[in-house]
Amino acid sequence: MGITIRRLLRRPLTALGIVLVLVHLTVALIAPSIVPFDPFKLLDAPLEPPGTTYWLGTDELGRDFLSRLLMGGRIAIVASLAAGFIATLGGGLLGLAMAYYRGPFDDVVSRIVEMKLAIPSILFVSLFVTGFGQSLAVLVFVMAVIKMMGVIRTVRAQGIVLMEQGYVKVAQMRGEHGPAIILREMLPNVADLLTVEFALRTSSALLLVSALSFLGLGLSPPTPDWGLMIHDGLQSIRSEPWLILAPALCISTLVIGLNFATEGIADAVGLEAARGVAGH
Amino acid sequence: MALPGTEPLVRCESLSIGYADADGGLVPVVSDVSFTIAPGEAVGIVGESGSGKSTLARALLGYRRAGSAFLGGRLFYRDTDMAAATVTPAVVALRGTAVAMVPQNPLASLTFHMPVGRQVVEVLRTRAGLGRAAAGDRMLELLRRTGLPEPTELARRYPHQLSGGQRQRVVIAAALACNPDLLVLDEPTTALDKTTEAQVLELVADLRRDSGAALVLVTHDLNVVARVCERVLVMKDGRIVEDGPVGRVFSRPRTAYARQLLGAALLIDPQRAPQARPRTAELLSLRDVAFSHARAGWFGRAPAVRRTLDQISVDVGRGEVLGVIGESGSGKTTLGLLLAGMLTPQAGAICFEGHPLAPHVADRTRDQRRRIQMVFQDPLSSLNPRQTVGSALIRPLRHFFGLDCTAAHERTAALLARLGMGPEYLDRFPRQLSGGQQQRVAIARAFAAEPDLLICDEITSALDASVQAQVLDHLLELQRGSAAAMLVITHDLSVIWKVAPRVIVLKDGHIVEQGATEAVFGHPKDRYTADLLESATLAARLVATA
Amino acid sequence: MLSAVLRRVFLSLLTLFFLAAFIFAATEILPGDALDVTLSADEMAMMPPERLAEMKRDLGLDRPAVERLGAFLLGVAQLDFGRTIISRAPVVDIVAYPLRNSLLLAGAVIVTALPLALILGVSAARWYRRPLDNVVSTGVIVGYSVPEFVIGTFLVMLFAVTWPLFPATITASTRDPALTLLAAAPLPVATILIGSIAYLARILRVGMVDALASDFVERLRLMGVPEWRVLLLHALPAAVVPSLMATALYAAALVSGIVVVELVFAYPGLGQELVRAVTRREVHVIQAIALASAAIVVVFNLLADLAILALDPRTRM
Repeated sequence: MGITIRRLLRRPLTALGIVLVLVHLTVALIAPSIVPFDPFKLLDAPLEPPGTTYWLGTDELGRDFLSRLLMGGRIAIVASLAAGFIATLGGGLLGLAMAYYRGPFDDVVSRIVEMKLAIPSILFVSLFVTGFGQSLAVLVFVMAVIKMMGVIRTVRAQGIVLMEQGYVKVAQMRGEHGPAIILREMLPNVADLLTVEFALRTSSALLLVSALSFLGLGLSPPTPDWGLMIHDGLQSIRSEPWLILAPALCISTLVIGLNFATEGIADAVGLEAARGVAGH
Repeated sequence: MALPGTEPLVRCESLSIGYADADGGLVPVVSDVSFTIAPGEAVGIVGESGSGKSTLARALLGYRRAGSAFLGGRLFYRDTDMAAATVTPAVVALRGTAVAMVPQNPLASLTFHMPVGRQVVEVLRTRAGLGRAAAGDRMLELLRRTGLPEPTELARRYPHQLSGGQRQRVVIAAALACNPDLLVLDEPTTALDKTTEAQVLELVADLRRDSGAALVLVTHDLNVVARVCERVLVMKDGRIVEDGPVGRVFSRPRTAYARQLLGAALLIDPQRAPQARPRTAELLSLRDVAFSHARAGWFGRAPAVRRTLDQISVDVGRGEVLGVIGESGSGKTTLGLLLAGMLTPQAGAICFEGHPLAPHVADRTRDQRRRIQMVFQDPLSSLNPRQTVGSALIRPLRHFFGLDCTAAHERTAALLARLGMGPEYLDRFPRQLSGGQQQRVAIARAFAAEPDLLICDEITSALDASVQAQVLDHLLELQRGSAAAMLVITHDLSVIWKVAPRVIVLKDGHIVEQGATEAVFGHPKDRYTADLLESATLAARLVATA
Repeated sequence: MLSAVLRRVFLSLLTLFFLAAFIFAATEILPGDALDVTLSADEMAMMPPERLAEMKRDLGLDRPAVERLGAFLLGVAQLDFGRTIISRAPVVDIVAYPLRNSLLLAGAVIVTALPLALILGVSAARWYRRPLDNVVSTGVIVGYSVPEFVIGTFLVMLFAVTWPLFPATITASTRDPALTLLAAAPLPVATILIGSIAYLARILRVGMVDALASDFVERLRLMGVPEWRVLLLHALPAAVVPSLMATALYAAALVSGIVVVELVFAYPGLGQELVRAVTRREVHVIQAIALASAAIVVVFNLLADLAILALDPRTRM
């Protein structure tokens, strides 16, 4: 473990990525106690320039921009983490079960995965938002389903490799039950893979949720959210460009940091192969 | 050893080659190696995997694999420095023209998306400088010369449409395109079956006689060296430990390592034939068992496949050791998996102690599952890397005997002790053990269930020759103590000679010969068995006659 | 060979059939029916029950779900997606031109991205773990980490606000000729291009690294075959085969990217139409757009499968 961490930190980009992620997570965690103003309250005239009272000025409704910026990652991060976690856990177990049982179960789920991959994510979300309404729960659920497909594919492939291993065969010959073998023999051996998958799916969920918010299909106003803030800022792109630049910088550094860190982790645990399918 | 008066073709002085490790350092895999090769000489380089022999072979072409570098020393082909810091144009000019290489795996070594004829033509056009028409004619001539039937038709095929032997002939044809003075062959027959191996080696010997080229043949198999070479270099841990004429090295090895290697070679000495125990009650019997890998997809594609196993009828007595000989693809592993209940036969019956045995392991009783155990080829993959040796061994004890933790713990320690391993190993993870230790743990796990039948599938072939004997000794000792019967599946005839008084020979899913090992090895009735024995005993016979 | 092609075409059609059924189920069966989805809860509450029943009868929504699904699939087979619930306009008319416009954008992106990605991916793999590769690999991560709408607004700031070389939003309208639209679209194309190149270059680089590490490349180098032949005639086709397996993912990501970018630049394509339809809850338009984009992905995938058949003789059994 010590060697792994040392290897991680020797690569400057990985170290940078880890620092960026930690900074963002810390800010998101403590934001409510450090914001100078209530991010929802209309405090002053709209579009005040940055100054001593409002360090980054006010937005188009007269709310403190800095407070909204600090709070703007929280919901998206939580939603992405939740979606990434459900996708990794569900996809991991499903992928292993498919590799273990094969047969019609595997065939049917594989076809469904392939079919789902043919529907672009944004369209997929649109369908469900149309059908079930625009709520955070629907959003997390749909994103989890979308991101799960990739996890299923990757883990299933790895599971098929594991099925050829002697220790899985020995457990089967002992007459142990499928779930016991999956949990005891197989799951611990995809732990590294699942860690990387979790990071990958979380970062791509983050990209998806902010794009959706930008389109007006994700989080809804008045939630402080970077995607929404960029959308709103488009109107004043000529006069107050920082209203776009600041949230753009936040979302970009977070995702870049996450992906740098993931790349480094994947490399350190010897999952070069994960690079080829990463991100989507 | 160049003849006096002739310039050596290759001159290597204190050459060292290193590979980059994970922390950026260079670990030597070839250290301080010196030798010469005379024009027309045939030299074998023998060693186990990891001995640096393949790296050395590539160095002869001035080639280093990604991550490796020359650390020191000198290597000359005639006057060209092959070990310069960077690959010089002079080195590249020699590749394929003066020095050519035949790599190990012919399927992977040919470009899968290009017809084989074009791949030979490419060498002729870019390296021999022939025009399109001349290259086409010469390609057909080369294919004919390497013994390929109907070259015009064959040249249009893709690599996957050829047999293993045909592919290797194509690779050899490409290597001969420019009439090289030195041909380097890296394990050229390891991917082939024994019959094909004999033919390809014969071809190599013929071509060498015709062209007068020098040969360097890298292999782990002493019998291959005995067939083709006059001189042999023995490598261990990156060093040349022995260098001399084949006859001298085989009959009077100077180093302990060379003796060990030769000790593993099969010598059929009737004095030392494995002795059968008196015939006892029947434990296992197979009647006309057949199996084929057919899994129809959703949309047709029902494959009309050859059966992996067909008409297999065998009996095994209590406490008997039965050897199963076969090459890869003969169905021998499938046979083991069928008995273990991991595959379901399409036809035939398996009886265990007179009762029919359910084909699938899940349908067998717990007691039946306990009594049939299996040990696999790759020791690392047969142990869960996330579990300690202790928990791997405790599992069967708890599962089959319902022992509590303390009792199970005591028993595992006792088991390990019988295999010559102390209790300190219980807390280690598989990666912290050597290959031999891993395999002993796998054997201990199988014996923990107190089986009546132990299936051993190539359990020594992933191990170094020096460790093989030790593991087999431990296995035999445990088996004698427990009176379990064993099915020893292997391609290695010397393993059979050591442990199995009775043997069956599998080829293409059929039993071609069976009987007492002494009789089968002494007077094989089947042509295929004779071929196997011929190629496996060459080195040993050379020792005997020298 | 022919049967292999036919088999893939048939499978693609089958996939489209199931996708159409899924799209219908997700929008009109699971959550209720078209009217439930179109009207908000308030509007539903306001409406007298008889009026609602009458509307449902008019729209054929009183029939069982399976029957409605059958009617939908039959319509789809004839490229008829029905009419919008409120304005009763034919959906095909609404979607046709935006679809063409989005395809124009996609075509322009692919034509530009492929050669650039090939050069980047191949040269990064050729100099694996050397400075050039490190720059490309890092650039690739940054390229797919920055959201399209961020890249888009950034390009607008640079090339429409700071240096007004291009208009910030597209002035061309939906039914303008193709060339007019393309001429107006350099910024949208550039925006999607960055993510596309990053994605394609990464896949090609991985495929190429594997191909260059293969035994046949080593044999060719040991035979002294010129490096450009090794790279382009042997390794590249071998690298493209696994890359093509990821086509469906790429095409799906491309469509998603186009949707977002169209909104940034007010480009009159499917994405604009989609957001409008979602806000107005025009179920049938959303269905048509979803199916059209799924069809794009399926067709891309089919083309990739056929390309694999052409490149890899082992698959032609």
